Amino acid sequence: MPEKPTGWLASWLKRKVFWADRSSQPGSLVGHLIRLASVWFILALVVTSVTLTGFFHQAQLERFQQNVGQLADNLYSDTDLDMDGKIVPPSFFDTRTQRVYSGLYWQVSEVGANGEVTVQSRSRSLWNDDVPVPADVLADIRATPGRASFYDVTGPQGAPLRAAAIYTLIKGRAFVFVAAEDRTMMDAGVRRFGFLIAIAMVILALGSLAAIFLQVRIGLRPLFKLTGEIHDVREGRKVRLDGRYPTEIMPVANQINGFLDSNQEVLERQRTHVGNLAHALKTPLSVLLSSSQDADENLPDIVRRQTETMRGQVDHHLRRARAAARSQTMGERTPVEPVLDELAVTLEQVFRSKDVVIDWRAPEDLAFRGEKQDFQEIIGNLIENACIWCRKNIRVTAVAEADVPFMTVTVEDDGPGMPEERYDEVLKRGARLDESAPGSGLGLSIVDELVRAYGGELTFDRATIGGLKVTLKLPGARV
Amino acid sequence: MRILLAEDDPDLSRQLKTSLQDAGYVVDHAPDGEEAHFLGDTEPYDCVILDLGLPKIDGVSVLEKWRRDGKTTPVLILTARGAWSDKVSGFDAGADDYLTKPFHTEELLARLRALVRRAAGHAQPLLVCGGVRLDPRAARASVNGEPLRLTSLEYRLLHYLMMHQNRVISRTELVEHLYDQDFDRDSNTIEVFMGRLRKKIGTDRIETVRGLGYRLKPLADEVSDLA
Repeated sequence: MPEKPTGWLASWLKRKVFWADRSSQPGSLVGHLIRLASVWFILALVVTSVTLTGFFHQAQLERFQQNVGQLADNLYSDTDLDMDGKIVPPSFFDTRTQRVYSGLYWQVSEVGANGEVTVQSRSRSLWNDDVPVPADVLADIRATPGRASFYDVTGPQGAPLRAAAIYTLIKGRAFVFVAAEDRTMMDAGVRRFGFLIAIAMVILALGSLAAIFLQVRIGLRPLFKLTGEIHDVREGRKVRLDGRYPTEIMPVANQINGFLDSNQEVLERQRTHVGNLAHALKTPLSVLLSSSQDADENLPDIVRRQTETMRGQVDHHLRRARAAARSQTMGERTPVEPVLDELAVTLEQVFRSKDVVIDWRAPEDLAFRGEKQDFQEIIGNLIENACIWCRKNIRVTAVAEADVPFMTVTVEDDGPGMPEERYDEVLKRGARLDESAPGSGLGLSIVDELVRAYGGELTFDRATIGGLKVTLKLPGARV
Repeated sequence: MRILLAEDDPDLSRQLKTSLQDAGYVVDHAPDGEEAHFLGDTEPYDCVILDLGLPKIDGVSVLEKWRRDGKTTPVLILTARGAWSDKVSGFDAGADDYLTKPFHTEELLARLRALVRRAAGHAQPLLVCGGVRLDPRAARASVNGEPLRLTSLEYRLLHYLMMHQNRVISRTELVEHLYDQDFDRDSNTIEVFMGRLRKKIGTDRIETVRGLGYRLKPLADEVSDLA
């Protein structure tokens, strides 16, 4: 484990992961995950509590106002006028209407011609107070006579009331029947409910945050473990990653192991090459050493031959080492056309005394899937070989294969060609078919090695223009 | 024959100097890039042997400077690096030949002889068409002073067009002059080479005359420059 939880927590608090750190991408994965989860979760909690409280309030209110609605309705249906035109209210058995300021009230008012409202009769509980009927409520109930409208109003002693009002005409006179009830208790209930919800939600939020927190930390533990293992590998305590990981992380671990293996392999190969080279150089060196002591009369010849051998060895191993190191690289693309153009111009110049003509053809959009230097090395050596053997003409043709990700490059010359039975022999290291032509004799074997490193193929054939035809299959692509 | 030998290894330069003098050359030696550049810039050499790994200024830079300044002295490059990418960049910088270390002195002398012989070939008139110049003796061409890197088939094509500039030349005529023997590879050979040549010298310099062939002509503003 990279850090102690306390240290990690402290640094997390210091960086204020939740908000301030947001701009500094990529930041910590733990931070991102926790932030995302908690933002979403807290938002959901807030919305839930607001909605719940709202619904509860609505339900309470509806239940509550049923009572005043009923009262107003009774008032409306049972009130009469006597012979003198005075109001005769019904008698209610609810004692609350009898007790002064009990919280349950009713009143009957008459609306005058000019819209002024005068109370004609009221419950005892009201004493001398009124339940006001605001102008907008009056207008409202006038539009729907006989039906109750509910509204909030401040009643006697400043108490908040829920009131129901009904407008009607009796014998040509306009009356407003009002019933009202103190809503303090109900409001307190709703508030208490909201408070409880809030407390519950806060507890839920804290608990869930802790859970998210733990889940992310535990969920990402394989990642921390991987870091630890890689650290161990770097420190030399382990050779490869051997821990067991969840299916999402396992591919990463496998890839890293792949890298480690190929690294090991390259290292191993380099070591072998260095060993081979050292060994190969020792023989000529000892020959040189002993010849110099003997003051051999053939010394110049011996020196020449031995240095020639050493040069060949050095070249060979240098190129091999490079090929081994590079064959692992992926994704690189080298357009074919410019490389062929450069090589043709250069080689024609090198072999100008022979007036070599290199006629090359390649589609503009064809690319070699690999490093430019390797492609130059492969094609350069082949054309150079052709230049050495040709009379005058060389043809180089590159074409894309129809449906596989490969291309074919052919190099043909009009020289004497090569007997078929020797096709295999030339690829062997340092083999040279004819000692009379210049060249180190390593060219073709290096080409073969590079081509193989790229998963390609090298074949020989007789050229239509007379000499040798070398056909290469190499990874290719359209660009 | 006067030769500049730019090589920093004292043993190799001493040996080479002796061999070159034995072969009848007058040899000046420059042990670093700065001196090599100065000498090559001021003295009229017949040929330069230039090591690429020179101290102070590297060989490729020295060569590029000379070529930018219009020096056409043949240059043979010596280097320990034999990969094709190195050779290509050497020729790109303007080298005439290339030898990888270690080498046989005889091979160096042979290449030197060839270089000097080529450079001393018969003087032929320079061909000019607007900004395009072609020197048949050195087999070099340039556009607005920038050296062109042409393959020999492209060079042949440009040479023929330059000799018959402002005239429409048919495809058949071009094919006949492009190849020594009549092994025409495919029907669009000329189109392929025209495309490459246009890419190198500028599209507008070669006009396609429908059904008849091609015509090389100076650009419009180059004509008015001459008038």
